[in-house]
Amino acid sequence: MQSKRIDAGELLISLALLALGSFVVFETQGIAETQGYSQVGPRLFPYLIGTGLTLCGTWLAWQALSGGWRAMPDEAETHAAPDRMGFLLISAGVVLHMVLIGWAGFILASTLLFVLVARGFGSTKPVRDVAIAAVLSTIVYFLFTQALGLSLPAGLFGG
Amino acid sequence: METLNALLSGFAVALTLQNLLLGFVGVTLGTAVGVLPGVGPALTVALLLPATASFDPTGALIMFAGIYYGAMFGGSTTSILLNTPGESATIVTAMEGNMMAKRGRAGPALATSAIGSFVAGTIGTVLLTFVSPFAVDVALKFGPAEYFSVMVLAFVTVSAVLGSSPARGLAALFLGLTIGLIGLDSQTGQARFTLGVPELLDGLDIVVVAVGLFAVGETLYVATYLNRGVDTIEQMKGSIWMSKEDWKRSWKPWLRGTAFGFPFGCIPAGGAEIPTFLSYATEKKLSRHSAEFGKGAIEGVAGPEAANNASASGTLMPLLTLGLPTTATAAIILAAFQQYGLQPGPLLFDTQPELIWGLIASMYIGNVILLALNLPLVGVWIKLLSIPRPLLYAGILIFATMGAYGIRNSWFDLALLYGIGLLGFVMRRYDIPVAPVLVGLILGPLSEQQFRRALAISQGDLSIFVTQPISATVLVITALVVIVPQAWRLVRRMQANAIGHHSPI
Repeated sequence: MQSKRIDAGELLISLALLALGSFVVFETQGIAETQGYSQVGPRLFPYLIGTGLTLCGTWLAWQALSGGWRAMPDEAETHAAPDRMGFLLISAGVVLHMVLIGWAGFILASTLLFVLVARGFGSTKPVRDVAIAAVLSTIVYFLFTQALGLSLPAGLFGG
Repeated sequence: METLNALLSGFAVALTLQNLLLGFVGVTLGTAVGVLPGVGPALTVALLLPATASFDPTGALIMFAGIYYGAMFGGSTTSILLNTPGESATIVTAMEGNMMAKRGRAGPALATSAIGSFVAGTIGTVLLTFVSPFAVDVALKFGPAEYFSVMVLAFVTVSAVLGSSPARGLAALFLGLTIGLIGLDSQTGQARFTLGVPELLDGLDIVVVAVGLFAVGETLYVATYLNRGVDTIEQMKGSIWMSKEDWKRSWKPWLRGTAFGFPFGCIPAGGAEIPTFLSYATEKKLSRHSAEFGKGAIEGVAGPEAANNASASGTLMPLLTLGLPTTATAAIILAAFQQYGLQPGPLLFDTQPELIWGLIASMYIGNVILLALNLPLVGVWIKLLSIPRPLLYAGILIFATMGAYGIRNSWFDLALLYGIGLLGFVMRRYDIPVAPVLVGLILGPLSEQQFRRALAISQGDLSIFVTQPISATVLVITALVVIVPQAWRLVRRMQANAIGHHSPI
């Protein structure tokens, strides 16, 4: 077995799990305990789950420090050069969609989302993307609101 | 006899024009979305959940069953032609089927997987029909203690036994359980882990979590890491029909695959991975053409595909009779039931027979529609594979955000969707399985409820879990499931050491 450098990501995730578990245990103390017939109240499960999560975090942290997480698929090449721009564009798409959907409406917000995601995947045909996005969002909007009774905001187009 | 009558009345429900149409639409939509690369059955079902919202429960669930089966069919098309398995259970099909396609035998590969899925799905549904009444009888004997023990078994198998790493599987399970804690405590009604946010009082919706993990997380992952290569779609060459030789080599694997798949689907063992691999190994051993394996042997597609579909019908057994989901897809189907205020379980067979039996009858019909839809129309579905990646994922995200927003028209759910998407991205990047999160999320609150009910009955005496025979048996099985593989590994290692230090492992 060859020695491996400690993977910062693995260690960080382990510690995050450990922290989340501890937080659950800590927060549980704030839950009012009422036991009733069963002798156990709303605190027991959070305690158990928080403890379990903490233990899993510790286990994974130990693995990360002693040769890395076990049985990880070898994807060094895949993970070598992440496309950060793609990640950011898609994130921006989802976040803007959340901000815009209320007043701009579903069709406009989704069109923007579509174009940003397509751009994030390296599309170089913005005109085509906008056209397809507008048609698709409009179809989805009318299909789901008119035919299937879901309510989606019309925004600038409707009253 | 009683079962036959129930099934016949089920057909009366399923064969009404409206329900027939809903089944047809479900199967078509399921196949269409399932064919899209990277979209497995769980995501298909989650994405299409909003589409069922406006129908009565029976119609909606019939459409839903169609979507489920359709997604499984569509997934194998993608696996064979694109080598992109939508979920772990189709890895084998992807391997062997893609090899067949590369050798110009895409047609027979698609045909054997479609017919095999039909055979397995139909036999699976027959078994479901005739075994579930017995399962219901057993389930009616279940008290809270038994339910809790079975859920523990499901937790253990889904997270620790399957998958490449027990540590990561358990971490994913506990993460799901933690998410499940958010919201009102079912017994006392007080808020837990809502951090004072009113939107969290209802807990996190499983559809938002599933779509976030699968759709948003996967999209971010593919864009960031996998967007360089170009997918190659294998061209359809030659006839799509199977030769006489192909039939001869396929029918036994179909039946054997079914025999592996159904029982594994029934027990809470986390779905279709194990039976597909078992089926593959068996066919490789039994085949007279074992040299072809790895280069495109038709048995290696026929068997595992049948196992995969049979286990899907098997999964419905614990889901319908116990309300126990053992796969990510089943967890989302359970969420669909809950959307109508229905809790699957033995009582539902009594209180809603037309719903349950209508659903089962619609599966027979759905299987026939699938075969009719897939063999002649496979060329149409293949066109879907040539959608450029940017447009494909952009479209998936429109449906994802619509589904998340449409549940209660709150921007907060979109924020959650993105947050969970980031989580899914990290999990995918570090090989942490997703299914245990969903199973933990949906079974966590149910198991807590049963645990506290059991203790209320026993007045706080924990021994209730080991003094009830069924509960005790299930817990012993759970312990064995954990211990036996470990012990086996230990014995093997000791043997290897005894023989000498040269042997691998």
